[in-house]
Amino acid sequence: MTIKRTETLRQRQDRRFINKETQTAAKYLRRLKELSGAPDGIEPFYDTLERIYVNMDHAKSGAFRHTVGTYCVMTPPELIYAAGAMPVKLCSGNYTAFSVGDDIAPRDACPLVKAVAGFKQTGLMPVYEDCSMMIVPITCDCKKKIAGMLSDRCEVVTLHIPSSRNDEDIEDFTVQLYDLMERLENVTGRRITYESLSDAFRMVGYAQYELSEFIRLKKQMPYLIRGSHAMAILNAASYMTAGEWGRALHKVSESLKMRIAEKKNVTSKKLPRILLTGSPIVFPNVKIPLLIEENGGIVAGDETCMGERGMWDPAVITDNSFDGMMNALANRALRPCPCPTFADNSQRIYRIKQLIKENQIQGVIYHVLRGCLVYDFEYRRIEEELGKLGIPVIRLESDYNEEDIEQLRIRIEAFIELIKLRQEPEKRSAVRTEF
Amino acid sequence: MRSKKRIIITVFICIGIAALAYFSWMIPFYVFETNDFDTSIEKLLSSDYLKTLVPLFIIIGLSAVGIILIVLLRRMLAKGDKKYSRFADVRTGKARGKAPKQKPAVFMIIRWVVMIASAFLLIWGGLIFGMGISSLSIPVLSCPWNTEEMTNSSCYYLSHLNELFELPIGSILLFFISTLGSIFVLGRVICGFICPVGLIQDIMDKIRKKTNTEGIKMNEKMYSAITPVKWFILLVFIGLCFAGGNFCNFCPAVAVSPILAGISTSLYVSGFLMVLVLMGSFFKRRAFCTVCPLGTIMGFFHKISLFRIKKDCQSCTECGACYEACPMGIKMIYTEREKADVTHANCIMCGECVRCCPEDNALSMAFAGKRIYTSSRKKIMSGTEKLPEHLSSYYESGGTPPKK
Repeated sequence: MTIKRTETLRQRQDRRFINKETQTAAKYLRRLKELSGAPDGIEPFYDTLERIYVNMDHAKSGAFRHTVGTYCVMTPPELIYAAGAMPVKLCSGNYTAFSVGDDIAPRDACPLVKAVAGFKQTGLMPVYEDCSMMIVPITCDCKKKIAGMLSDRCEVVTLHIPSSRNDEDIEDFTVQLYDLMERLENVTGRRITYESLSDAFRMVGYAQYELSEFIRLKKQMPYLIRGSHAMAILNAASYMTAGEWGRALHKVSESLKMRIAEKKNVTSKKLPRILLTGSPIVFPNVKIPLLIEENGGIVAGDETCMGERGMWDPAVITDNSFDGMMNALANRALRPCPCPTFADNSQRIYRIKQLIKENQIQGVIYHVLRGCLVYDFEYRRIEEELGKLGIPVIRLESDYNEEDIEQLRIRIEAFIELIKLRQEPEKRSAVRTEF
Repeated sequence: MRSKKRIIITVFICIGIAALAYFSWMIPFYVFETNDFDTSIEKLLSSDYLKTLVPLFIIIGLSAVGIILIVLLRRMLAKGDKKYSRFADVRTGKARGKAPKQKPAVFMIIRWVVMIASAFLLIWGGLIFGMGISSLSIPVLSCPWNTEEMTNSSCYYLSHLNELFELPIGSILLFFISTLGSIFVLGRVICGFICPVGLIQDIMDKIRKKTNTEGIKMNEKMYSAITPVKWFILLVFIGLCFAGGNFCNFCPAVAVSPILAGISTSLYVSGFLMVLVLMGSFFKRRAFCTVCPLGTIMGFFHKISLFRIKKDCQSCTECGACYEACPMGIKMIYTEREKADVTHANCIMCGECVRCCPEDNALSMAFAGKRIYTSSRKKIMSGTEKLPEHLSSYYESGGTPPKK
């Protein structure tokens, strides 16, 4: 390709950015597709990821005139749907944007925030540029500063996340949600009514219903689906409406049920079952689950906020007044959330133990994004607790680049070998039930 | 400093309650010329029955007016608020549409049937089926002034202990055996399933939910503020007879069961209290149960009764839905992470926590070790298992916007 003289420096940079960005996304999508055992019906999710990252297209919002960007699981999507806008999760895993953001954000900021800063700087990613509003729950210092940085591009609402989950904290959060509601209404020009809010509950509830069905199938032994594929499906939820996503997921669940009937599994081998936990895994930064599954392990469970746990807990309406529904949203956002931003987060350990029991996990990989302090803090406690159960744990620190990929590969390979050694050959299929 | 203030307020409330209970016979709500303790089925069918019902109508009327006034007042306050005035309509019950709801659980249907049937039996049962088991006492707030009650209620002798010990020894033994026996077998299931006052309160709550009216949400602080009042009421309940008072003039249950059975009883403070109970339970489910002295007594025995709430701590995600749903504000049910038995002294076994729990098998109710009602994610999501038609066109990509 010849460089056109008329191009300015900025244009050249932009072109290079787009090239690199689409290439990495396409590469990881290809690697996901090359992985054996993808269920039928996964195509809509691949298409969505391809549309957003490879074609750099808009998140199709259909009837919605506005999209609202959200970060973290604490933002209730119900409110955004009720205001007539489409929520898009903007947590980013992009390597190219990261390298741009590296120059803007301080050295010790986490790569996720750097990638967001990078997208903001280049202004090229349509999903980001489309947003009429962004909602940033303040879960860590980096999020707080990125909220300030983003606010000169579009309207930014910050949600204060308390450090504990007492009744007063939930009440304060409910008040914040009321404020958020008002600002959402101002942006979309549509009033949130009892009717629209309950419709939004229905839609998000439908997606969660399909999700719980899917996870129920995912837990089956032997495995019906690979963790990387499940991760792609759950990542695609960020850019699809809940209804659309739920429908597509329904088809995947149907095909998984077919697999049960036909007695078809992903693999006949006894693969070491690994739980992935820690910092979020966001497409295209799926190198760790891919490395695990390419090296003969299987990601049997994940406890990451872009994965299974992000949408798992439903908002339970215990009081069907309007205020009761707002309460349900605030309650769902804070109480079941195992985010390490809370001072006392022992429930995360219980959650991990539960996943270990349900999925018969043999080893835990604790993923830490470099600079993600809150997750790094909790590693020690989890290592101690899992040590009592005799489950091996390793901590993998990674960044948004491909330089550490070989290092990671060696460590993951060794870890999988370790698990294989630990299981006695004849007892490979033994089910771990009690602790 | 703040706690000092709270103690003073609590003391004043307690003194007020004590004074009100002691002088209750001096504050009439509705007095009949003669208290007629005879009743029969013929009387229930005659026009005399309407006369005895008059105080009940007054109570219902007063509480309806009270509830409407509170709702209107809240609406006015919400409208006056600069920031939240736009939510005034949706927050005060003026709302179209329906919130998603899970399919009715069999357990809940049974609970309602049992509640209605037992209230019917406790009020009119003696008239219809005779007084065969009327010497048995069960600790339930169905007033023993209703002489035609099917079973006796323990509350009378518990609040008149001096009279209890004047009875022949056989009656005393029968009283204790039947009371303790029912506490052992049923425990506070009596509160959740049998008590007529509980039924009335649940009906008020149903009305609120049907009208989508916003309730009053109690938090930990409020519950802990109420606890000393609860203990003081228990003290008054047991001790008033020794001070020469009569708790029955104070007890709100007098305003229901005898009147409905056709017995014209003059009402004193209990009439006013019943209005408060009705209004309270409209905004806060089972408001009276949080201070009920009989319930407190039954709570002492929560460790031995056969009905239990069980928790599988491994499955719990601490989402707090059970705590949100609990009418008695039992927080321990979601914070507990070790014990398998989470039966609390305040638990009235209404099963609401099990109904609202989104994790499979995390919570369950057991009778004598056998699970009778278990939480299930499928059940709780049953309201949203299908995407409604009117949403599918709207929320799918490329759909057309709704016409509004």
